[in-house]
Amino acid sequence: MTRFLARRLLYAVPVLLGVSIIVFLTVKIIPGDPVATLAGINSTDAQKAALRHSLGLDKNIVVQFWTWLTHALEGNLGTSIAQHRPTAGLVMSAFGNTLILAAYAMILAVVLGMLLGGVAALKPRSIIGRVCSAISSISVSAPQYSVALLFIIFISLGTGAFPVSGMHGTGGGGVGDLLWHGFLPALTSALVPAGMIGRVFRASLLDALGMDFVEALRARGLSTNRILFHAVHNTLPSLLTMAGLQVGYLLGGVVFVETIFSWPGLGELLFNSISSRDLPVIQAGVLVSAAAFVLVNIVVDSAHALIDSRVRNT
Amino acid sequence: MTSITTADLSADSPLAPPVRARRRARATGRRIPLGVYLYGGLAGVLVLLGIIGPWVAGNVTSGNLSERLLGMGAGGHLLGTDGQGRDVVARLIAGARPSMISALLPVAVSGLLGSGLGIAAGMASGWLHSLIMRILDVFYAFPAVLLAIAIAAALGPGTTTTVIALSVVLIPPIARVAETETMRLHGMDFMEAAHASGASTLRIAGRQVLPNVMPALLVYATSLIGLALVFAGGMSFLGLGVAPPHPEWGQMINEQRQNMYTAPMTALIPAIVIFAASLIFNQLGDALRDLLDIRRSTR
Amino acid sequence: MSSHLKVTGLTTTFGRGDEAVHAVRGVDLEIEPSGTYVLLGESGSGKSVTARSILRLYQSGTTITGSITLGGEELTTLPERRMRELRGSRIGMVPQDPTGALDPLRSIGAQLMEVLLVHRIVDSKAAARARAVELLDRVGIADPGRVVKAKPHMLSGGMRQRAVIAIAIACNPDVLIADEPTTALDVTVQAAVIELFRELQERSDMSLLMVTHDVGIAEELGGEVGVMYAGRLLETGPIGEVLATPKHPYTQGLLASLPSPGVERGHLKVIPGRPPLTGETASGCAFAARCPLVTDACHVVPPALVRVGTGREAACPVVNAPDEGSPATVSGFSAGASEELSA
Repeated sequence: MTRFLARRLLYAVPVLLGVSIIVFLTVKIIPGDPVATLAGINSTDAQKAALRHSLGLDKNIVVQFWTWLTHALEGNLGTSIAQHRPTAGLVMSAFGNTLILAAYAMILAVVLGMLLGGVAALKPRSIIGRVCSAISSISVSAPQYSVALLFIIFISLGTGAFPVSGMHGTGGGGVGDLLWHGFLPALTSALVPAGMIGRVFRASLLDALGMDFVEALRARGLSTNRILFHAVHNTLPSLLTMAGLQVGYLLGGVVFVETIFSWPGLGELLFNSISSRDLPVIQAGVLVSAAAFVLVNIVVDSAHALIDSRVRNT
Repeated sequence: MTSITTADLSADSPLAPPVRARRRARATGRRIPLGVYLYGGLAGVLVLLGIIGPWVAGNVTSGNLSERLLGMGAGGHLLGTDGQGRDVVARLIAGARPSMISALLPVAVSGLLGSGLGIAAGMASGWLHSLIMRILDVFYAFPAVLLAIAIAAALGPGTTTTVIALSVVLIPPIARVAETETMRLHGMDFMEAAHASGASTLRIAGRQVLPNVMPALLVYATSLIGLALVFAGGMSFLGLGVAPPHPEWGQMINEQRQNMYTAPMTALIPAIVIFAASLIFNQLGDALRDLLDIRRSTR
Repeated sequence: MSSHLKVTGLTTTFGRGDEAVHAVRGVDLEIEPSGTYVLLGESGSGKSVTARSILRLYQSGTTITGSITLGGEELTTLPERRMRELRGSRIGMVPQDPTGALDPLRSIGAQLMEVLLVHRIVDSKAAARARAVELLDRVGIADPGRVVKAKPHMLSGGMRQRAVIAIAIACNPDVLIADEPTTALDVTVQAAVIELFRELQERSDMSLLMVTHDVGIAEELGGEVGVMYAGRLLETGPIGEVLATPKHPYTQGLLASLPSPGVERGHLKVIPGRPPLTGETASGCAFAARCPLVTDACHVVPPALVRVGTGREAACPVVNAPDEGSPATVSGFSAGASEELSA
């Protein structure tokens, strides 16, 4: 198991390197000459050259990348164009809030998904079973921005049960306040993952219940509940895999959800940075999200290997 | 060298892959699931709207400010007017084109490129296979939306940017499916036979592999259309798509968000339209997948 | 007496009405304590269904009639909760495919311990663990300490089957039902597993119901045999005698069709036609369509099992005509084929 973990961590290094290369290159593909824009129309060639030199843009691209990368690893991700503050600080504090939202959403997604999938699997011909199946199918197609608007208009504005925006009420609030503010945004983000998890859980549970060993368990005299427990245990590997995939979806989707709900996370930060073309922040945000995603995948893979020892050799 | 069709992969042929038959097909006894016709038809309507939309819609860019934010059905406007007095229905119809283009074109492009890459990876030996898969892994490490945003932010707003960004983002999943399908065929005897008979790798790829992975790839690509539609809508919502005043569904949501408190429907309607369109394409993808399973196991 | 298994008139039907599949049609069998009974038949004969019906493993949609008593207690009318207590503890089952019978994610030890603890054979996890190792040793596993922690995929097919047998005997059952336990194994491992069954029986007074299509295994085990065809028993009796002098055309045909080394070259003798699929119905004797001794009467009424010797029964009036001088045999099947078996 430790060898598995070591292999995964080792492998993460070239992946992260590749990720940083791509993030770095996205700035380089911008059409036009950034120096000309920064220096102004009336600048002389000498002024442009001096500016280019001071920005390090006259060195070859590999050196530029290396400088950028080493700076990033030290925690220096440049300075935000819009806010004139170090990007790293901005991104990291925003990311913290996003993590809270993503975790909340993940929990909701797994609970909801297993509920929907479980009922659909165990009572396939009943009304409630069909309803759960249908809900899973529909929620998979739900665009986050659409659902966010629907929730705000019909629930927040309509019933006032949940706040329209923000992460905390005025006066700071505690965990309860956080959960209350976070519920609608988390649920919005959780709908598609819940649908996907529901579908996978339903399929794997039916699969597991159809396997030969279920009959063998009955022949051993185990009760239906115990057998169900073991069947669910056997669905965990595929559930984990799907949950891992959904983390990527969640991290991406926060851009929409946070914007609409005014949740002060990385998504909202990115949205504002897009409008102001604040490239250092966009770069840093994407980099941090991707790195987090890679780490999460390692955790998910490890959990998978822990549960199912057959995959430990891959 | 004759190519082996999907028919030869049926359950009673010795080459058949062990695929489980769909319960639904057994239950209803249908050969082609109802969903294929139903959702296929609806999807066709959407595509049609995308083609003829701007011509039938009329004037959608300028409106009569005295008629702004009328409710549904008021003044002859079926779904009301938006914040600038423009008819919502007309804008929706006209907006179908950029939305459809941003959904269908990236899937087509990444479908071609991704399949080629995936098949090549599947046919390649050792280090080349590993290399391609590792590069794909790097792209997989990005939450898709963020990668698209990063690219689009760099290139500047517009439909072209959206298409490029989405194409890049969709290539890895398609490549992965193509690779998996190709590897699945690798284990089958007829591939060994082809190699042994001296056929070149390219020829094998074209005559043997391609026809056999196509059905699964087509089904997968269809299921990506719904996703691409939502993505494209999202990009426009963020201001990275078609510039106003030209309509596009996602952009309409963003524009009308400010009217959310006074006239929520103007923002909600395009949001619901995207939801519905995505649902149609996703259900179509599901129905096609059922069809594929049925074909594979009962012929 | 508590392990005396008696089955009377067992009928198992899947589904209802027009779609009903009669897999087992009136089977009687009896196993004394420490006895061995081999249910011999081809696929579709209903032998596996019989075994599973005894354990009541089938759920809704299946109708089981008849009587099954274990040590005098009637099993067919027991509430499910009580039946569950019996399964795995007083009646153990060894299924056909050892890989399919084991939970792929849990260790062998965990699965063994579970059975011990659920049936309260031991009362602590430590005791369960110790007994698990003991059981693995008893079924002939060389390194029980390692195997107890292993997951199924780490073991060979033969070891998995031994592990499954260990689970089946964990609670010292009165009856052990083995459903084609050697089909999924290599020939060399088969012999070892059959030897294991014999050993286990010798050491305890457990009775064994073996379901198989392999005549060699029947012969190896000894005891009583019941030849099944299309859901019915066609012939019963001590294995040695039945194999030496079969009294039913089907048994005769079955034995004659076994290829064996040492026989002069020639065509393989086969029974023409094919066996019926599970539940395929025909009026009259199920074997009539393929029987070389068939008469008109055979198509009308299914023959009953009648006594054809001490402890022997057969369901064929043609072979066993009332004048019991010499039972008829058929040209084309030779009774002498059974002698080649023991070679």
